[in-house]
Amino acid sequence: MIVPFAHVLIFAAILFTMGLGCVLARRNLIMILIGVEIMLNAAAVALVGGSAYWRQVDGQVFVVFLMAMTSAEVAISLAMVVYLRRRRGTLEADRFDGLRG
Amino acid sequence: MNQTLLFLIPLLPLACAVLNMLFGMRLPRLVAETLAVSGVAASFLLTLLFWGYADGAGTHALLGTWLPVGDITIPFALHFDALAAPMTLMVTGVATLIHLYAVGYMHDEEDYARFFGLLNLFVFAMLAIVLADNLLVLFLGWEGVGLCSYALIGFWYQKSENARAGTKAFLVTRVGDIFLAAALLWLFALTGTLEIAAINARAASFAPEVLTALTVLLLLGACGKSAQLPLMTWLADAMAGPTPVSALIHAATMVTAGVYLLCRLFPLVSLSPDGMAAIAVVGALTALYAATCALAQREIKRVLAYSTMSQVGYMFLAVGAGSVAGAMFHLLTHAFFKAALFMAAGCIIHLAGGENDILRMGGLFKRGPRELFWVFLAGALCLAGAPLTGGFFSKDGILLAVYTQGTPLFLALWGIGLLTALLTAVYTFRLVYLVFAGEPRGHGHPHDLPLLMRRPLWPLALLGLCGGLLNLPPLVGGHEWLTHRLGTLAGREILAGHSIEWALAGLATGLVILGWGFARWRYGQFRGEQENRASRFLLLGWRADALVDLLFVRPFTAMAGLCAIGCDRALVDATLDGLARQTTACGERLRGLTTGRVSTYLAGFVWGFLIILGWFLLALVK
Amino acid sequence: MTTMATSLPQFPWLSLLIGLPLAGALLCLLQRRSAIECRWLALVTTLTTLMIALWLFVTHGDGQAGWLLREDAAWIPRFGIRYTLGLDGISLLLVLLTAFLHTVAVLIAWPEQRRVPLFMALLLILESGLMGVFLAVDLVLFYLFWEAMLLPMVFLIGIWGEEGRRRAAVRFFLYTLAGSLAMLIAMIALYLLHAAQSGAPSFALADLAQTRLTLTQEYLLFGGFMLAFAIKAPLVPFHTWQPDALSESPAAGSVDLTGLLLKTGLYGMIRFAFPLFPNATRNCLPFLAALALLGLFHAAWSAYRQEDVKRILAYSSISHLGLVVLGLAAWNATAWQGSILLMVTHGIVTGALFAVVAMLRARTGTRDLAELGGLWGAAPALSAFFLLFALASLGLPGLANFTGEILVLLGTFHTQPLWALLALPGLVFAAAYLLRLVQGALWGPAPANRGAIADLTVREWLVLVPLALLTVWIGLYPAPFLAPLAGPVQAALGGLP
Repeated sequence: MIVPFAHVLIFAAILFTMGLGCVLARRNLIMILIGVEIMLNAAAVALVGGSAYWRQVDGQVFVVFLMAMTSAEVAISLAMVVYLRRRRGTLEADRFDGLRG
Repeated sequence: MNQTLLFLIPLLPLACAVLNMLFGMRLPRLVAETLAVSGVAASFLLTLLFWGYADGAGTHALLGTWLPVGDITIPFALHFDALAAPMTLMVTGVATLIHLYAVGYMHDEEDYARFFGLLNLFVFAMLAIVLADNLLVLFLGWEGVGLCSYALIGFWYQKSENARAGTKAFLVTRVGDIFLAAALLWLFALTGTLEIAAINARAASFAPEVLTALTVLLLLGACGKSAQLPLMTWLADAMAGPTPVSALIHAATMVTAGVYLLCRLFPLVSLSPDGMAAIAVVGALTALYAATCALAQREIKRVLAYSTMSQVGYMFLAVGAGSVAGAMFHLLTHAFFKAALFMAAGCIIHLAGGENDILRMGGLFKRGPRELFWVFLAGALCLAGAPLTGGFFSKDGILLAVYTQGTPLFLALWGIGLLTALLTAVYTFRLVYLVFAGEPRGHGHPHDLPLLMRRPLWPLALLGLCGGLLNLPPLVGGHEWLTHRLGTLAGREILAGHSIEWALAGLATGLVILGWGFARWRYGQFRGEQENRASRFLLLGWRADALVDLLFVRPFTAMAGLCAIGCDRALVDATLDGLARQTTACGERLRGLTTGRVSTYLAGFVWGFLIILGWFLLALVK
Repeated sequence: MTTMATSLPQFPWLSLLIGLPLAGALLCLLQRRSAIECRWLALVTTLTTLMIALWLFVTHGDGQAGWLLREDAAWIPRFGIRYTLGLDGISLLLVLLTAFLHTVAVLIAWPEQRRVPLFMALLLILESGLMGVFLAVDLVLFYLFWEAMLLPMVFLIGIWGEEGRRRAAVRFFLYTLAGSLAMLIAMIALYLLHAAQSGAPSFALADLAQTRLTLTQEYLLFGGFMLAFAIKAPLVPFHTWQPDALSESPAAGSVDLTGLLLKTGLYGMIRFAFPLFPNATRNCLPFLAALALLGLFHAAWSAYRQEDVKRILAYSSISHLGLVVLGLAAWNATAWQGSILLMVTHGIVTGALFAVVAMLRARTGTRDLAELGGLWGAAPALSAFFLLFALASLGLPGLANFTGEILVLLGTFHTQPLWALLALPGLVFAAAYLLRLVQGALWGPAPANRGAIADLTVREWLVLVPLALLTVWIGLYPAPFLAPLAGPVQAALGGLP
């Protein structure tokens, strides 16, 4: 393995933190979704790294699943975002508080 | 002949009752009435036909099983013996005459099927008491007569007071029934059977305290049905019912059921001297109490009701003094003359245009039919105990039995009995004078009197007058037929010298004359309606109703309020509602956390994640 | 008879008793268009079920101990859960009562106009659940049916009830659910204890009864079971859901609720709580008797104070069931027979009273005692039935309830004279509130503003006549109904002193 496994994990952790920061800091729904995508990709990187380290194919299979799932998720959530934008005229996340108790 | 046929005696009235209740309104009136009368009359004839079955130890008859209790089965069975036979004959005979009278009395009543159905049902229930072989069948009849009494007192239900009087009668008698039921349970636990003969046979093996307790329970049970102290308040109000009902149920038959019960279980009861004394005391006190109340009553039927209570008190006194024959003798004569008096009273009320108040009657001797006066006078003479009437002999027999007991207690009770006899004469002749003497004071429009209401009075009045022949003492050449007929069931043998008997008879005669003289002096001429505190006190029956109200009814209602509102609503429901409110309040407070904003949730998520991470790191470090 | 008993298990009669009403309910739901068809469908289903129950009663009602019929199949072997149904003399009577009262209930609900298919379906599901409760011998299966009968009842009250239906339905639901939860926990705890001891996990009643428990454990688990049963029965401190539920429920629901659902609690005690925890039971009997007496009088007093006709009847139910529990607590064969018979007759008599009151309400539009009165003049037949059932309810000899009551009292007096004597004034109490009810409804002048009232229709005659006939029959000849109890009661009492 060219890159040490620890480096891969550190990279994944940095990527995950960046995504998390994006999700927490941004108020725009699209930016939050992008943050979620980055976090998912961080997880994918970690899985690929693990797969290479233990020489097992499971991790890579899982990443393929992850990619399929991500695309499905993005398709649905973007459709919802478009719908919400049409309906409410905004993508400000805090404006959607229909679940308030 | 098959002895199961004995069951026809009670079942015929039952069948007629059921038919009348189910189809009476669809049958022509005449058919319904004929059905009612013929059912009872057929029972009467059957009783005569089967008379021989009562000889010796009597006849047991079994119809079928009723209640299996473990290995024991309590059957529908009856016992026709020397005690039951005369009583059956009296019940069916008097009931037949009263049914005939009722046909006339209820002539204008729309709801005749219900009336005759209930009246027949009553006869069935009463016969069940009389003929019962075991206590459970007796209890069936016992409650059955209570039900019929309830429904018939409130027969004219449109007036709430009538229905309420029925309810009162049912409830007060049911208080007595509790004690009877307790005795029943106890006897079953002791002997493992409810058969009356078996219980009587085994009674000698009970402990004395048990016997006394059982006797007192039976006495209290009898008090309820027979309107004796302290369960007597219902009888006067029961007069709200139609007059045939008062005559049949509340004079001749049902109120004597208590006496009959004690006579039936006399072998048990007589084993407890304390219990016997209690019975005698209750009887004497009731006799006196009711006689004083009767002195001041204004409604004719209430006078008669209190006199019934008083006479039944005599019968209790007789049982307490150990003379079943005396009690049964008085029971029979009383049934005849009191039924005649009640039915005559019904005629009088009819003639007075529905007026009940004797102070507003008067002058009926001149205006009314003469035969009514003679019948009423015959009944009154019997009630007052005028010499040679049936009432004279039976009452004299009781006083003799009490006197010959000889203990101080019984001598005191004898004194009470004499005093009551005097009061009886006074109130009886007061009634006669107020109703028949002088000029009419009322303004009611007289109804005419159908023949069916007049004819049945004669046989009853005659039976009352000649009732003495049933048990004529040897003193005047009789053979004491009833006592011989009862044989071993007759109770204690009354032994007294002829001189004592003559003296007592003379004393009784003197008291009657004294009472008559007083009544003639006081009520011979009507002196207007006078009321003072004493008469008001007696009119209200010593304010017994107010006392019961204060001691029982109000606490009961208060407890009802406490349970329904104080406990259920204020305690249980409020606790639960409080719990529910607390839960809701918790939810209210927590709902502030859910802002609905994604960012809040995400922040919460991250913090939670960090805390869990920190926890693991800490664990790792350790 | 014996050849019957051996050849019968081939055919799953018991499953049929449960399955038939369920199938009827499904059919009702599937064809939702015609109300009339649904009514007939429900009637045919209940009648067929009744026929089966009657046939079982005729062929098996001879008083043997033990299971008369039994069905057993593996269900979830991993946890030792089996599909086990058993019919003994006690459940035989209650199955018969269930089948009978449901036929009556369908007839009572005949004029219902709103959402008839759903109504009938719920009624049939309820019947199925009740059959299951009375037949299940596996604890998980029992619990399943126990909960399954709760839901249809909640919906019956909540959708078709009277003005206060929502509150009553929620209350009923929460109350009984809280009880069931306690039972569930106790059940699982018992299962785990048993599995740990024997190594063979099982929910079968017979297996669990073998579990060795310390007295403390017994008390706790007994308490869990009894809480569920006491709420359902209901025993007095846990009873306040019942007047609400009974008075707000539609007529058919009231009949079901008072006639059957309340009985499941008592049946649960007899079938599960007592045999599973004999030592705790023995020690708790005086306590149970005290609760029963408290309930008897408390409810009678409360009934005396009510103004709502249905609430009077509801409290009278509690009061009567107090006597039933007293009989059970007396722990004596006669008293037990009386108690179980009283459960049945109370179902018939009080059910009939609820039916009569529903007819009364349909005519006068009120349940308030003060606004009723003088009914006899307007509708004598209806009034006569009212009086008959009221008299039966107050324990008049010769009518149904008396038989059970006197047996309870005779039996109780035999072992515990004091308890029986304390219960006796209940006779007067019952007379007091029932005669007040009769006085208010039947006697007195008719209210001035009331229009003409029709007497009974043919359908109403069909409802009331069988009930009345049974009332008189059990009153005069109870032997056939007591016969099946002899064996099982002896067997149930045998395990204890």
